[in-house]
Amino acid sequence: MQMMQKIQIHNQDFHLHPLGGLFWEAKSLLLISDVHLGKVSHFRKFGAAVPRKAIHKNFLLLDKIVADFEPFQICFLGDLFHSSLNKEWELFENWVAKTPAEIVLVAGNHDIIAPEKFEKIKVSIFPELVIDSFFLTHHPEEREGYFTFCGHVHPSIKLKGIGRDRLKLPCFFKSENQMILPAFGQFTGTHSLDPKKSDEVFAIVEDSIIKI
Amino acid sequence: MDGKHGLLNAPTGSGKTYALWFPIVLNYIKNHPDYKTKHKKGLKAIWITPLRALSQEIKQSAERITQDLDTQMTVGIRTGDTSTKERAKMRTNMPDLLITTPESLHLLLSSKGYAKTFKDCTAIVVDEWHELLGSKRGVQMELGLSRLKTVCKELRIWGISATIGNLEQAREVLLGPTSPELENSVLIKANLNKKITVKSIIPKEMETFPWRGHLGLHLLDQVIPIIKKSRTTLLFTNTRSQCEIWFQKILEKYPEFAGEMAMHHGSINKETRLWVEQAIRNESLKAVVCTSSLDLGVDFAPVETVVQIGGPKGVARFLQRAGRSGHRPGKESVIYFLPTHAMELIEASAMQKAVLNSAVEDRIPYLNSFDVLIQYLTTLAVSDGFYPDEIYPEIKQTFCFQAISDEQWQWLLNFLVMGSQSLKTYDEYKKVEVKNDGKFVVNSRMVAMRHRFQIGTIVGDASISVRYQKGGYIGTIEEYFISKLSPGDVFTFAGRNLEFIRIQGMSAHVRNSNKRTNKVPSWMGGRLSFSAKMSELLRQELYTAELDISEQSEEIQALEQMFSKQREESIVPQPHQFLIETFKTRDGFHHMFYPFEGRAIHEGMSSLLAYRISLLSPITCSLAFNDYGFELLSDREIDIQEVLDNNLFTPEYMLSDLQKSLNSNEMARRKFRDIAVISGMVFTGQPGKGIKMKHLQSSSQLLFDVFRDFEDDNLLYQQAYTETFEHQLEEGRLRLALERIAQQEIVWKQCSQPTPFSFPIITDRLREKLSNEKLADRIKKMMAKLTK
Repeated sequence: MQMMQKIQIHNQDFHLHPLGGLFWEAKSLLLISDVHLGKVSHFRKFGAAVPRKAIHKNFLLLDKIVADFEPFQICFLGDLFHSSLNKEWELFENWVAKTPAEIVLVAGNHDIIAPEKFEKIKVSIFPELVIDSFFLTHHPEEREGYFTFCGHVHPSIKLKGIGRDRLKLPCFFKSENQMILPAFGQFTGTHSLDPKKSDEVFAIVEDSIIKI
Repeated sequence: MDGKHGLLNAPTGSGKTYALWFPIVLNYIKNHPDYKTKHKKGLKAIWITPLRALSQEIKQSAERITQDLDTQMTVGIRTGDTSTKERAKMRTNMPDLLITTPESLHLLLSSKGYAKTFKDCTAIVVDEWHELLGSKRGVQMELGLSRLKTVCKELRIWGISATIGNLEQAREVLLGPTSPELENSVLIKANLNKKITVKSIIPKEMETFPWRGHLGLHLLDQVIPIIKKSRTTLLFTNTRSQCEIWFQKILEKYPEFAGEMAMHHGSINKETRLWVEQAIRNESLKAVVCTSSLDLGVDFAPVETVVQIGGPKGVARFLQRAGRSGHRPGKESVIYFLPTHAMELIEASAMQKAVLNSAVEDRIPYLNSFDVLIQYLTTLAVSDGFYPDEIYPEIKQTFCFQAISDEQWQWLLNFLVMGSQSLKTYDEYKKVEVKNDGKFVVNSRMVAMRHRFQIGTIVGDASISVRYQKGGYIGTIEEYFISKLSPGDVFTFAGRNLEFIRIQGMSAHVRNSNKRTNKVPSWMGGRLSFSAKMSELLRQELYTAELDISEQSEEIQALEQMFSKQREESIVPQPHQFLIETFKTRDGFHHMFYPFEGRAIHEGMSSLLAYRISLLSPITCSLAFNDYGFELLSDREIDIQEVLDNNLFTPEYMLSDLQKSLNSNEMARRKFRDIAVISGMVFTGQPGKGIKMKHLQSSSQLLFDVFRDFEDDNLLYQQAYTETFEHQLEEGRLRLALERIAQQEIVWKQCSQPTPFSFPIITDRLREKLSNEKLADRIKKMMAKLTK
């Protein structure tokens, strides 16, 4: 198993996984954000020949992270699907059927697939979720008295070293009352953020999480 | 033309336009004796020009001929600037003589029934062929010609080229290496003995440390008398930002030039550029600060003097610019060379020798540019469709694809139709379809429309148009620059101080501002490398530093102070020596190497060396290079003795080492960006509507990774590497350079501080990086630095 990082928020234990997921131990809930399924097929449909094999990568990684935690519940924090319905939906259906966990989706700006389609495969959709003192949403938003888990931003961090060494790494970006998850999807870009003094950054470095 | 094909070698301003228009019109007259009364409609000849800006000029000279000879022939222009209305009119009624660009020619090939349009075309002239030759636009031209040869019944093909090293090859590329056209062709050289005088502007006070990047402004005062002395002066700069800064600084210091001075570069709007060009002809301007945008075409008889600011990096380019002055056959051309840093004085001196021997470099044509071929095949599929058996032989006749294999051809066809090499049922890939009779067509109107938007091989950063809030277009700027501005920021553009208000769609709104600013947009792609010839001359010139003063040029003499500073801790290398310097600053440990081979070679060599060093022990270093040498900068000292003992400069295994070093490097990735756009894998958006598809822009980066992980045998992915090796790193030259170093005595100097030679390199901020240290280790070091 890879090197994970364990942190405490509101007296609850959370594990940060280097694939980009976050596991809430007490609830056995796995949070994953911005998978952007369907992007490869979307491109191909519009005449851009992205290698088809790349489609399966996302599902392989999902399997891996699920195997590492064996969660009761999996919650996607939005942008699960990149585009309208395409053939990757069928692959997702298969994945949902074979995955032994309850799956819910907090909808994001890219999630334009009809809710009925999700209901049919027993995936519930919410605009946002509140569990105990935690607030789950796609777009970053702080709510009084709650700690937020969100996505949307695809955060990364830039590092500088001696000899003008430079790096850009995807990361979990934690401010006082909010944690932004990195994008789980393979075929996505990142947006670099500048941490303030009070922020905590957990960078994904190959197969481990390093606190910066 | 005498029924022949050929290449005409002539400098601009020698009447070449007439030399080729005349026979075209005469040919029509011969075949249509009743030409004065009856006019046979339809396209008769095409004139290809690489620059839209030149088309007006060419049209005027064509019209003069058609009218003087009393024909009723019409002349038309079709470029990216032509209005939709005008284009629609051409569809039904083509002019007799059409002036167009390679891109617009392909757009014509993408419209239905193109074969009929071109049927009676008897001549095609490719102007400034040397400009197209070494680029993918050249490949585009080759492909266009390969089709026209079949479609037109009796076609004569002519190219016009300035002097380049490989004129014979230029003819071969134009006509096709095994074609009957090449057999029936001639190469005509216009022998114009033009005298060119090069004068260096030598600083009155010589600096010991040659800084990079102060743009030569310290010599501004010495330029003014030159401007005042002559009627019209052109000041050539190497980049658009340098052009902006020079223009601004001259006006600041010498406001009396206001109204008599103008600026000309590719990002300024067309009207302004045309106005400037006209003003030069009218002699109403004293000076024009410009970039390569004034390199080509356009006759400017009144230009008396040319000033080149900074090294022109190539002999051909320098000659072309020099030829801008005294622009009448027989007149002497004077060009002043203004060095932006002391080292460039060596370049100035070398340039004079080059001019004397007319040592002009080659333009290397592209081979196997599959991205352009995919674009071309899609073009044909969009218009009337194509049968592979018919097109394949045409393509094999081109220079670019003379060695294409049947397997590669099949691969390309599969790629077009299936987006891969094997068919899977659930796949939704859609672009080109095959009809029952085997014809390849595009049925989707959207695919067709998008493709037409994207025809072309010049890929720039996303460009944003700059407009006044109240309307009024000023020019275009790279999105990258605008993205760094916040509302209220002031920047200089097109010679004005502008305040940035907001971005709307694909345009930036601005208003005039009185605030002073030092923000000047930078445009990418301004960095050129020395050619092999030029670097050879440069080395010869440098070696004279150790000669007796009587044998030195004025420039080398002027550099004495810098040379003696250099000698304090190091040496000025001689032909048998290869210099290495090491020293430490607060940036880290600097390791300097001086092969004097030109930027491109140093880029490859530094990457190669860094990789080989990393095999000895894990290391992270950043690489910087210029035309004189390169630097490996690292957080720990590299043992140079170990480098030498292990013979790390050997040309053996060069290619495989380079390949491995590039894996962790970004060059191929950058090449791939262009390839992805040209081959249509990444859509750059419709003009003015780019934002919606903007996320596709950054996706060429992602695409590259996906190909690497899942489909590394993809021909387009591999092309990125081939191009990197052949065109960017110039593998062949690199090998020769390493062989030369192997013969040299290596002189390693450990210095206590930066030497004059090292200065321009270590101050360069644009760097490459190479590392094989564990990522986690690097981060630990970085964090250690943060907390220090």
